Amino acid sequence: MSEQKLQSQTVQTTGHAWDGDLQEYNNPLPVWWVYTFYATVIFSLIYWTIYPSWPLGKGWIGGVSNITYVNSAGETKTHSWNTRALLVADMNQAAVAQKPYFDKIQAMSYEQIAKDPEMSGFILSAGRSLFAENCAACHQAGGQGVVGFFPNLTDDDWLYGGSYEKVHETLMGGRRGYMPAFGEVLNGEQIDQLANYVASLSGIEHDAAKAGAGDMLFHSETAACFYCHTAGATGRQDIGAPNLTDNIWLWADVPAAGTAEGKVAAIRSVINNGLNKGVMPAWSGRLSPEQIKVLAVYVHELGGGQ
Amino acid sequence: MAVTTYSGAEQYNFDIVKKFAVMSLVWAVIGMFVGVYIASELAWPFLNFDSPYFSFGRFRPVHTTSVIFGFGGSALFATSYYVVQRTCQTRLISDGMASFTFWGWMAIIVLADISYVLGYTQAREYAEMEWPIDILIEVVWVTYLILFVGTIMRRKQPHIYVANWFYLAFILATALLHTFNNLAMPIDLFSMKSYSLFAGTQDAMTQWWYGHNAVGFFLTAAFLGMMYYFVPKQAGRPIYSYRLSIVHFWALSFMYMWVGAHHLHWTALPDWTSGLAAAFSILLLMPSWGGMINGIMTLSGAWDKLRTDPVMRFMIVALSFYGMSTFEGPMMSLKEVNALSHYTDWTVGHVHSGALGWVAMISFGSLYHMMPKLWDTKIYSNRLVEAHFWLATIGIVLYIVAMWISGITQGLMWRSFDEFGNLQYSFVESVVAMMPFYAMRAIGGMFFLTGTVLMTYNMFMTIRQGKRESAALDAKMAAKMAHA
Repeated sequence: MSEQKLQSQTVQTTGHAWDGDLQEYNNPLPVWWVYTFYATVIFSLIYWTIYPSWPLGKGWIGGVSNITYVNSAGETKTHSWNTRALLVADMNQAAVAQKPYFDKIQAMSYEQIAKDPEMSGFILSAGRSLFAENCAACHQAGGQGVVGFFPNLTDDDWLYGGSYEKVHETLMGGRRGYMPAFGEVLNGEQIDQLANYVASLSGIEHDAAKAGAGDMLFHSETAACFYCHTAGATGRQDIGAPNLTDNIWLWADVPAAGTAEGKVAAIRSVINNGLNKGVMPAWSGRLSPEQIKVLAVYVHELGGGQ
Repeated sequence: MAVTTYSGAEQYNFDIVKKFAVMSLVWAVIGMFVGVYIASELAWPFLNFDSPYFSFGRFRPVHTTSVIFGFGGSALFATSYYVVQRTCQTRLISDGMASFTFWGWMAIIVLADISYVLGYTQAREYAEMEWPIDILIEVVWVTYLILFVGTIMRRKQPHIYVANWFYLAFILATALLHTFNNLAMPIDLFSMKSYSLFAGTQDAMTQWWYGHNAVGFFLTAAFLGMMYYFVPKQAGRPIYSYRLSIVHFWALSFMYMWVGAHHLHWTALPDWTSGLAAAFSILLLMPSWGGMINGIMTLSGAWDKLRTDPVMRFMIVALSFYGMSTFEGPMMSLKEVNALSHYTDWTVGHVHSGALGWVAMISFGSLYHMMPKLWDTKIYSNRLVEAHFWLATIGIVLYIVAMWISGITQGLMWRSFDEFGNLQYSFVESVVAMMPFYAMRAIGGMFFLTGTVLMTYNMFMTIRQGKRESAALDAKMAAKMAHA
């Protein structure tokens, strides 16, 4: 209260009043406020000296801080501070840590890499990182895939082969799976028979009579399924035709169907509509040969490598 | 007393103030509900219902437009019309123009919100409205400017009160920003789609010159205008320093225009442009704090009001959050800090400490002061004001803390390398790590929304009470007249 009295005695208002009682004291600027403002001015001047700041003619004042980096041609360059040089310098740092490993990987065979205990830590780290950034969007973080869309990489069922070389080939060139729509050449009853036969191959509950007819159809020239899936229905990895006898499902979402009819219906739908979505992009242009090698080892180690 | 306020209603156009005040609360409830909904979508994605109409991308501008332009904008129209009339001691120069700004502004928010849900957007943050709506905004805004300036010119007071400088700066700057950021060519006269006149980095630069000055003039200067009238009124004390108000007004107006590029650190924008902006952001710190000091020091000597007056508490907390977020902002605009904070939830937290803590709290305080006066009554329930205060404050704290933690976590996860020089985390792992904080943020939002609903109910009851009292008074007068 005494403070208030003191203030009203020493500080005058501006003498104006608005809307009845609205008035203004005319206190001086708080000293600390003024000095802090001066401090921010000094800070700004220093900041402008360090970093690029004011435009000047066709260029700009570059600032006194420099960044040294190694460019893609391997030359060491120094440039006044800028975002791009800083990124390259940061990436240089990461590259320095990666380099001894990538250099080794280049010269090693897959078997050597897999057996080398020194490499296993790097493969786990680099492979996981590469997989997460490039593969996990489709194949999921753990490589388990999505039934109906993207293959599971952790089991030992391979569409195109699970050897190091085959995985590498898949990564480099990509893949394109295709199956014609049999709804265009067969009638509904025939497709139903085929679906029951395919179900029988994996021990799924089915109509035996229909499956018998489907067996005939499968191996006939009318449907000609055996051309790609082979007479034993075990598939052909050279063209990516899946094995139909292992009860592992990629396209027909059999596991999700609750009833036997549902499972057969899922298979029927694939036979009827065919497939044109089994596309895996090629990574040869996007990742370096060493990175692809790392990924091949990593995917091989996910569980199902052959 | 009743006689003076009655003549006051004749003297001033309070009808327009009432309309905007009520709609400001309606938009607050709508906008904050949508905010809570999209916050919940991030925590519990099933809420998207696999429908484009419910998706985050379309609802987000509905949220921002409804709270900034619907709630904030209506509160500014209401208070600026109230303040300019009372401090100039004159009626708005045209009731028709005032009414046009009301219906025009409401149409703009409704049309904008509907067009976003249907998928129309310019994809410019806080300026998502497509060109036909932009033209309507232009017309309404110029009307607002003429009305405001015209009223000031007809003032019966020799001096223009400080609150009006801030309101005028806000109206002028918003007109300028809106015009230049929305220069675009429609692809067809009958198409909603348009293309910006600017390209590439120039386009980004124009957008963030707009974006940050929308924060500076719409969400800061204008609400400082509100503060300069309602804080001294509620405290019953003079403004602390006239000199400080002049200095920080001009410093603020000058500095803000330079800082937009700090939103574009680490992008294709030339480094000098954002470096220049970063230092100006630091220079802006003290000019911003001038307003906070003037507000808080106005209360000095009447601190007991904080204990007894819940409305005053809204205002002081608002000023505190204003001080905090105008400190945080310049820090985040430094290149090195921004390298961590950019693209993370920290930014979202920062903007909400300003939007909820400053903008919404000062608006609540001002509306609590103004609305009972407009209907010539007292607040229906001070206990509800008290409850609102705590719900809002707890909500803000939950929100900001959640976003600080998640933002810094994101920033650190994205930049962390392991000993082999490989990225330690994938992006999706950082998303998984955000989940608990997204839930916490949504809960914070629910607190805040609940408080707003309480206020809306409280003000609804206050208006009803005011109407009942004035009807009773009229009846009494009529009875007396008949008796005589």
